[in-house]
Amino acid sequence: MARARALLRYSATRLGLAPVMLWLIATLVFLLLRVAPGDPVDAVLGSRAPAAAKAAMRARLGLDQSLLDQYLDYLHGLIQGDLGQGLINQEPVSSIIGRTLPASLELSVVALVVAAIVGLSIGFSGIARPEGKLDLAGRLYGLGTYALPPFWVAMLVQLLFAVSLGWLPVGGRFPPSLMPPQGSGFYLIDSMVALDWTALRGTIRHLVLPAGTLALLLSGTFTTALRLNLRRTLRGDYVEAARSRGLSETQVVLRHGLPNALLPVLTIAGITVASLIGGALLIEVTFSWPGIALRLQEAINQRDYPVVQGIVVVIAALVVLVSVAVDLLVAALDPRIRY
Amino acid sequence: MKIADRQLTRSWLVAFGTALFSLAQLGCQPIATGNRLTVASAGKISSLDPAQASTVNTIQLLSALGDPLYSLDGNGELIPRLAEASPIVSPDGLTVTIPLRRDVLFHDGTRFDAEAMAFSLRRFLEIGTLSYVVGGRIRSVEVAADHQLVLRLSRPSTSLEGLLTSVNLTPVSPTAYAQHRDGFLHDRFVGTGPYRLTDFSEHQQRLEPFEQYWGEPPANPGLDLITLSNSTALYGALRSGEVDVLLSPSIDEDQRHALHEKAQEGQLREAIGPATEIGYITLLSNVAPLKDPRLRKALALSINRQEISERVSYGLRRPLRSLVPPSISGARSSSWPAHDPTAARALLNAAGFCSGQPLRIPLTFRSNVPADKLLALTWQAQVKRDLSDCLVLELDGVESTTIYRQLGEGAFKAVMLDWRGSYPDPEAYLTPLLSCSSPQGDVCLEGEASISGSFWSTKGLQETLTRSDRLRGAERNRELQRIETITAKGAAYIPVWLEAPRAWSQTSLEQPRFDGSGHLLLAQLRELP
Repeated sequence: MARARALLRYSATRLGLAPVMLWLIATLVFLLLRVAPGDPVDAVLGSRAPAAAKAAMRARLGLDQSLLDQYLDYLHGLIQGDLGQGLINQEPVSSIIGRTLPASLELSVVALVVAAIVGLSIGFSGIARPEGKLDLAGRLYGLGTYALPPFWVAMLVQLLFAVSLGWLPVGGRFPPSLMPPQGSGFYLIDSMVALDWTALRGTIRHLVLPAGTLALLLSGTFTTALRLNLRRTLRGDYVEAARSRGLSETQVVLRHGLPNALLPVLTIAGITVASLIGGALLIEVTFSWPGIALRLQEAINQRDYPVVQGIVVVIAALVVLVSVAVDLLVAALDPRIRY
Repeated sequence: MKIADRQLTRSWLVAFGTALFSLAQLGCQPIATGNRLTVASAGKISSLDPAQASTVNTIQLLSALGDPLYSLDGNGELIPRLAEASPIVSPDGLTVTIPLRRDVLFHDGTRFDAEAMAFSLRRFLEIGTLSYVVGGRIRSVEVAADHQLVLRLSRPSTSLEGLLTSVNLTPVSPTAYAQHRDGFLHDRFVGTGPYRLTDFSEHQQRLEPFEQYWGEPPANPGLDLITLSNSTALYGALRSGEVDVLLSPSIDEDQRHALHEKAQEGQLREAIGPATEIGYITLLSNVAPLKDPRLRKALALSINRQEISERVSYGLRRPLRSLVPPSISGARSSSWPAHDPTAARALLNAAGFCSGQPLRIPLTFRSNVPADKLLALTWQAQVKRDLSDCLVLELDGVESTTIYRQLGEGAFKAVMLDWRGSYPDPEAYLTPLLSCSSPQGDVCLEGEASISGSFWSTKGLQETLTRSDRLRGAERNRELQRIETITAKGAAYIPVWLEAPRAWSQTSLEQPRFDGSGHLLLAQLRELP
């Protein structure tokens, strides 16, 4: 009971601090964008537009106000959940995020699942004979995939499987000749709900290369984490006790070693998915994946202040939420954890 | 430990083989396209409003969704489109009457007439981001009859005919745009073109033939226009057969060359449009050191365009010694001096440089444009080879958005840029670089020349520019040549190369073609029988 209360207090503190962190991030982004050279009005109207037209647009967008007034307006909107409108095409920022976030989440979650399966399998396979060939291969795999430059790997994968072999699409999220499935924005789910197998196949075909590349790059982290944790766990007293009770090595590993070794991996997975939402930019650029990171890059190039601010705040909020959720899950699974 | 290494290895091999086999199976079953054609290019489309359109991609798309009043054929001849005949110009040159077609419908089923055309023109003049291209020439737009439009001009303008081919003046349905008279409509387009838009996102657009189109119907059952975010993806998509047609903007030089070679070998089809984009260097002429015209001329003489063209673009971008593309009538192709390092050295010597005191010039290039960087590096190497004791170019890469923002503030001593006229007329190239509303000696205090970053003008230039737009034929050509000669002498701009739009298609398609304005004729794309 006391542990549950402590956990609740911890969660409330984390969530309570989240708005402060989001405010700090929002303020920082607001200031950095204004300090950076470049003018959104130029991006919309072009540098040769008449001064009167520029002034009118500046007034319409509120850019003629003082920095403090702009900031207060921005915070006022943010508190009310209004992220504003894009400067370039006046589309609500929430719509832009609503359209691009599912694409990034779909990519991240699929990549993470594949990375976990592949990475954990490789990490686990080396345990049969520590310092043996498989264990060494697992170590090399873990280090190698972690060290690979994402852009380079993505290009190679693209050139091999899409350009040379022609097995899979070069980029994009859905076959251009088909209409994307309507619904949640998660094409895998939407096409399955609609029982549209052509759409499902098209979605999977477009997902394989970007998700596979991301998974390849991430899987090494899982391999290394599991390998190290499993080896440490298997040296524990309770494992020795299990062995002394006459359990087979397989039973020892599967029942006592693996569950304990997986707990730190769960934390890694949580942090990874959170960072992937906004951090898969190179993959999204290479595979023309219309996700939130690609949209953020475009907005930065266009000096579209509200879009950049909105996306950064939403990504930050997601990172906070996911990390709190992971903490709670780990605490629920591991009775040793105290808050 | 009971699990054997060998057994595990075998399991892994089986798993890997199964995954690879599944991948091949998944990939080998292409999705049926229903003979629709996929056209790929780079760069998303943020707005479909012709009053705001400025990117090559958007203008290309609008050219398929709408019709201008006139267009240019491959020979540069004016062809009536929504106009019924050539414009009738009054003897004083101040009134232009345009008869309009009577058989045209908008995509929403409403009728195209003079009121609709006037609505679109007035809307463009009111809110158009490129309304400066009109330059105050059109004083008013009047409806003379149901299908007769009258433009009252503030001054006679020969280039108006070229302006009327601009995609920015494409008419839109007054009914569909009633709520957007004073603002942009970004995600829809209701025009009169051979295609109607059935689905729009920034990265993908779906076009279906418009059944009630007044002209020849499209030769294909529909188009899917997609944007891919990098050059390698675009190149790969065409090579793998994933897309049918690829448009050239933003293709890296190496890949452009590779596609050109494949087309030469018969593995692809290549279409080349009229070269309408110029690459040039702007020199800041109102402050030291480049205030001294001798130094600007020395820089102009130090650049070997032929070598740059071959090294950077494999000769695909042609060397240019004029501000107006030669394909546009009235252009003169060799106003600027050719590469002459000896003459450059003499000028630098005369200005007090060389012999241990080289002139140091920061050369800014757009860091997000790969060709710019290659050009800058090659020119820097040429100068090091030919004039190392007299001239040093210090390279500085800056993102293009920042360059455009700071250009008019005089932030760059020498900066590389490109320009594509909004319509195919010399005026669309000369005015945006040279026009000056407030000249003072050789300095432009206010006007296009200062926005362009050169701040250069000279006595009588503005008057000559205005006069040239009143003349026609050989007389106009002579005046335009005079402007080019004066500008070359001032050397505030150094034209470097000329770029033509290119498109590549699979060999299963008929040869793609461009129109005289450099738009790919999307409606003529078709598979071979």
